[in-house]
Amino acid sequence: MTTSTPTAEPGPGAGTPTASLLDVDGLRIAATAGARHSIVDGVSFAVAPGECVGVVGESGSGKSLAVRAVTGLLPDGVTVTGGTVSLGGQDVLGLGPRARGALRGRRVALLMQDPFTMLHPQLTCGRQIADGLREEEHPRRGRAARAARRAEVVRRLAEVGLPAEIADRYPHELSGGMLQRAATAAALAADPDLLIADEPTTALDSANQAAVLALLGRLRHERAMGLVLITHDLRVAFSSCDRIYVLYAGSVLEHGPAGDVQAAPQHPYTAALLASEPSVFRRKDPLPSIPGSVPPPGSRGAGCPFAVRCAHVAAECRTAPLTLAAPPAGAPGADRRRTACARIGALTALPGAAGEDTGDAGPRQAREERTAGAPHAGPRRSDAALVVEGVGRRFGTGADAGHQALSDVSLTVPAGEITALVGRSGSGKTTLARIAIGLETFDSGTVRSGPVELRAGGRPGPADRRRLAAHTQIVFQDPYASLSPLRTVGATLREALAAARRNGLAVDGDRDQAVLALLDQVGLPAHYADRRPAALSGGERQRVAVARALAARPRLLICDEAVAALDVSVQAQILGLLAELRRSQNFAVLFITHDLAVVRQIADRVAVLSRGRVVEEGTTAEVLDHPRHEETRRLLAAVPEREVAD
Amino acid sequence: MTDHPTAAGPADRTGTTARRPRPRIRPLTAAGAAVAVLLLAAAAFGQSLLPGWDAQDIAAGARMPGGGHLLGTDALGRDIAEMTIAGARSTLTGAALVALGSMLIGNVLGLLAGYLGGWTDMLVRRWADLLLAVPALLVTLVVAGIGGGGYALAVCALMVLTSPSDIRLVRTAVREQRHLPYVEAAETLGLPRRTVMLRHIWPNTLPVAVANTLLNFAGSVVALSSLSFLGLGVPPGAPDWGRMLAENRDLLYTNPSAALAPAVLIVLSAVVLNHLGDRVLEVFSKRGNA
Repeated sequence: MTTSTPTAEPGPGAGTPTASLLDVDGLRIAATAGARHSIVDGVSFAVAPGECVGVVGESGSGKSLAVRAVTGLLPDGVTVTGGTVSLGGQDVLGLGPRARGALRGRRVALLMQDPFTMLHPQLTCGRQIADGLREEEHPRRGRAARAARRAEVVRRLAEVGLPAEIADRYPHELSGGMLQRAATAAALAADPDLLIADEPTTALDSANQAAVLALLGRLRHERAMGLVLITHDLRVAFSSCDRIYVLYAGSVLEHGPAGDVQAAPQHPYTAALLASEPSVFRRKDPLPSIPGSVPPPGSRGAGCPFAVRCAHVAAECRTAPLTLAAPPAGAPGADRRRTACARIGALTALPGAAGEDTGDAGPRQAREERTAGAPHAGPRRSDAALVVEGVGRRFGTGADAGHQALSDVSLTVPAGEITALVGRSGSGKTTLARIAIGLETFDSGTVRSGPVELRAGGRPGPADRRRLAAHTQIVFQDPYASLSPLRTVGATLREALAAARRNGLAVDGDRDQAVLALLDQVGLPAHYADRRPAALSGGERQRVAVARALAARPRLLICDEAVAALDVSVQAQILGLLAELRRSQNFAVLFITHDLAVVRQIADRVAVLSRGRVVEEGTTAEVLDHPRHEETRRLLAAVPEREVAD
Repeated sequence: MTDHPTAAGPADRTGTTARRPRPRIRPLTAAGAAVAVLLLAAAAFGQSLLPGWDAQDIAAGARMPGGGHLLGTDALGRDIAEMTIAGARSTLTGAALVALGSMLIGNVLGLLAGYLGGWTDMLVRRWADLLLAVPALLVTLVVAGIGGGGYALAVCALMVLTSPSDIRLVRTAVREQRHLPYVEAAETLGLPRRTVMLRHIWPNTLPVAVANTLLNFAGSVVALSSLSFLGLGVPPGAPDWGRMLAENRDLLYTNPSAALAPAVLIVLSAVVLNHLGDRVLEVFSKRGNA
């Protein structure tokens, strides 16, 4: 594999590195068992001191493994099979385990996704930061030394914006955002030259996400530290990185300065990824998606790994070896960029973040309308799919232990419309969804879900459960836990159909035909009926979950963060599917999400939930363009998207 | 199930369409399975294949191995090898009954307690706590002693006293599955609770139940042998490893194999069943996960 190290070029900022801090060249990683499939195929990247490099890609792109190889912390079952990794001029791969361990912390540190498991639960945060301090600068022994170490820990906490008393707190006493800051302080305790942040903000809600990204950005400037940000979230990567590497199926498809890549992608994959990302500023109609999914290791042929999904594929794509080359001279920043697309010279301008779709003719105006306001001013009660009135729910008992998840919440979901319920984590949005479908009880108020009146304080009885099931269905967040692992897709759908029939739905025709019709509705081929969930990708599982919910032909579909765990390209597929099914079957949707861009893309109306109260409600355009409540403005401000000038 | 992301965000999991390779069978497991099959065959067919196992010949009593007797003879001149094979039946079938009965009790009560919660859960848990609080072997001794030392009584008492471990295990496994999205999805389809319990939750708790049954089997082999050793299991004259061990320990200097053969088999079956239980848990827990 030919590797093009960016040509040296003087100048600070978003430029190419002057002297490399990290140089990865032709890195290969493969599984150690079975057929020893190659997972990372010759990835090269470089990081300069003080530079922030973003590594983006979908699940299965190998981005995490490729970068983690630098630290030597690869999971069991995979191993480095080729290439070189040099950290500050020192070859890392040749080192023994002990020497490599000595690099961690001092030369390179790792910050991971889940703040709740990254810190030791039984040690105070201060102790964990102190343990990382360099012994030679902050000796352990002696009373004076201990006081100095303590002062240093407090200074480190201040550096990440935490007060001194956090030093004596245990991890379980802190919130997710605070934990991620404390973990950052611990990772930086030994003053590493390079920080690798692996999806550091994915588990946080948008407000904390923005704060942690700002913190990482500030720290790398102050410390002149290299930062590698691994993320599947393009908005996060493009808003905070100097340079971007786009990985796909174990290969770098494109790299270059973030602004240039975003404005004028030089690989169809980058273009398609950017286009399939919904925007918080405008609705893309239709939202372009990338068909199919990332090929698993072992099923990647010769040539470009993206060829099978690419809209611009030609014969040479399937045969020509993948080579990173400079894009045509006309592209912005062409001399500092590389693309692996063999046809890039032949392709006319690929769409950038603004979101045009080249494959599609027609005026851009038609595809990118601002969200139109709903035709009527307010939802009518009479034909509402869900009416929630004055609902309160308190968790826990005891004088001070109780937590008021919902207080006096009123919400109406009009028939046939998509109503989004947004709020940060802990705002009570999932509790409300679970109440609406009878999985959770509530303390006060009334809930009318179609024909069923749910009463406060008790679970619905068998008859009500069946009437509720005929009217309301739900799609959950985690596609990996949504399907019974031992049953085939067909068995799951047959059961849903049988339940629907028992609940009073007139199903005509043969059950197996109905299963195939359901699969067809959600865009899955018929032979998927024989598969078990383990053989399906996340997006495919979510399609099956939608099909199961639609078996009952519900009038209200509740989507509880149904696209939050999916990659952008797959998220776009599922959003498109939901919009299309809603149009053809005219059911109402209660769409629970924390992502305002998804709201803009799909919802007719929005309700903003904050600390268990609905603080703002209206049409999507009203709420997102002219937010009235402080909480809505805060949520909007936290979106890491820069409006692209039209 | 340990690598689920705790919050939003895709983990780097490849949803492969390729078939998962069959679990590789380790040599140790293969050997264990072979021994287990031999032991079970001995339990099933031993006494019918060796009709002369209890033929006595007092003149040839307490002989060392040799002269037509592979492992020598006991005090009454019975062939030790044949008697050991014949003795597999009472020890292993009794232990299997204990394990299976305990699994049945554990699955029914554990499933109800874990799924229904509330009062059912409270009662079942108190019952399990009560049984766990009393020393199983001692109670069995007392029950068997009072009831006149019947083999059936000992098996029944052990069954009830082994069940709390199954009850607790199944209940915990059910509660783990209870609030997973696929179970809640089944509930929101309007399926009857019985269907949700039996068709959705129960199959996914089976790995632990099956593995624990094998472990209980191993434990019961030892427990039943102990009872027989103390004279509270099988009646005198019946072939049984525990009983042989008790009767033949006086021959330790004249024919050591008379006591060692049943002892070795007790240990061997316990070890083999334990190992198989561990392996079953390992293999079955991976089923359904890529």
